[in-house]
Amino acid sequence: MPELTKKPTEYYFKAVKLNQLDDSLQQEIKLKCGVDVETCMECGKCSGGCSNTHIFDITPRQMIKLIKMGREEPLLSMDSLWTCVSCQLCVDRCPSRIDIPRVMDYLREKACQQGIKPTREQVKLFNELMLGSIMKTGRVEESLLAVKFNLKTGNYFKDADLGRQMFFKGKLKAFGPRVKNLKKIRQIFNDTIQKEG
Amino acid sequence: MNVAYFPGCSLQGMASEYDKSTRLVCKHLGINLEEIEDWNCCGATAAHSLNHLLSVSLAARNLDLAKKMGLHLVTAPCAGCYGRLKAASYELKNNSEVAEKVSQIIGTSVPIEPEVKNLLQLLVESIGTPAIAEKVVHPLKGLKLAAYYGCLLTRPNQVTQFDDREMPVSMDLLLQALGAETVNWAHKTECCGGGYAASETDIVIDLGGQILESARAAGADAIVVACPMCQTNLDTRQKAIGAKRGIKYHLPIIYFTQLMGLAFGYTPRQLGFKRLLTEPFSLLKAQGLA
Repeated sequence: MPELTKKPTEYYFKAVKLNQLDDSLQQEIKLKCGVDVETCMECGKCSGGCSNTHIFDITPRQMIKLIKMGREEPLLSMDSLWTCVSCQLCVDRCPSRIDIPRVMDYLREKACQQGIKPTREQVKLFNELMLGSIMKTGRVEESLLAVKFNLKTGNYFKDADLGRQMFFKGKLKAFGPRVKNLKKIRQIFNDTIQKEG
Repeated sequence: MNVAYFPGCSLQGMASEYDKSTRLVCKHLGINLEEIEDWNCCGATAAHSLNHLLSVSLAARNLDLAKKMGLHLVTAPCAGCYGRLKAASYELKNNSEVAEKVSQIIGTSVPIEPEVKNLLQLLVESIGTPAIAEKVVHPLKGLKLAAYYGCLLTRPNQVTQFDDREMPVSMDLLLQALGAETVNWAHKTECCGGGYAASETDIVIDLGGQILESARAAGADAIVVACPMCQTNLDTRQKAIGAKRGIKYHLPIIYFTQLMGLAFGYTPRQLGFKRLLTEPFSLLKAQGLA
């Protein structure tokens, strides 16, 4: 068990006024993701199974509850957006089949669009560098990605020893084959960025 | 049997031994893998984390390319690629609005129909363990293995429609058909930390550590995987996990196709065993397999 860094009471929410419920976020998620959180019966199996619930600031079950209450602001700035491993356990165990990973992705996307500072910037950076590699070459070049990530974060020697071992095992290749029709790949990026904002 | 093959980025980089052993084993079993021409990255964690439509479109282009090659079945050995391709295929079939948008973006007609199966699924469903057992010339006698499926081979079950979501058995049965023994353990489908290898290494040390410890406690000599991310996380972070937990681990993390190849009579050299960081040779030698 990891050590608790906060007092147990700090893991729970402050009281909210229930006469301030607002279903606009719930409706938005139903419309944009096709996920209806109304069917949540609060059994908590999502959080019970969740791989990382022990480090989440807001658990999957609490997340669904906050959506129902229309409380967008804690959801867009929560740490869980950047520690969710997308392991699909929550949706798999949900008796109502609520696609929580899809909602997690939607909230993360929205937080980025609104320019909300992620709690773990290196996670966002890594994903952006990866997308950059796909846009440029159509594929991910793992070793270049790792080098770029270290340069950008200033941790020049992160995993240097591991990198050396992997190099001698022939696991690090700098230039793999690229996609030939790169025009198409760039067009897919442009079109989806336009459509999703 | 002709199948569209999606190797994915890891298999042409860090996990080339998975690619090599997959091609050897499939050829041996009469499966003709046709690499999807000019395939692109499935989008991985990065695309679905930041832009949903992009993630479906990138995966859909690959399915469409397979369709244009006249193939109706796509296989991906990487569980991550499989997860993205399968999720996209599911969404394209069940959400006509997204299917319409995506077909406009990639410039093709709906439906984008090829079926997607992970490599383990293809082998156990299309060839079957009895036929695989018939090909065994060097039974893997004496090996005690932990079959590790990870998150994405079976989840979400509604999408994958493969094996039992919590306690899958297909890889265990396959390894038993090769002559090995498999252990009963609790972490078959737990997550290794996936894409956080570089950006949040502590998550991998934590989750990967639980998996290594569970396999060790169950008495396994090695962990068998079907995903380059699982392999890399459990293999490259094994020392760090050991240091954190105060236990010295020595659990080789081996692709299931490498073990199939070994049982079929190929050499460890042909199957890229020497590329594994946690050396597997003392284990193989002790059982007379190398």
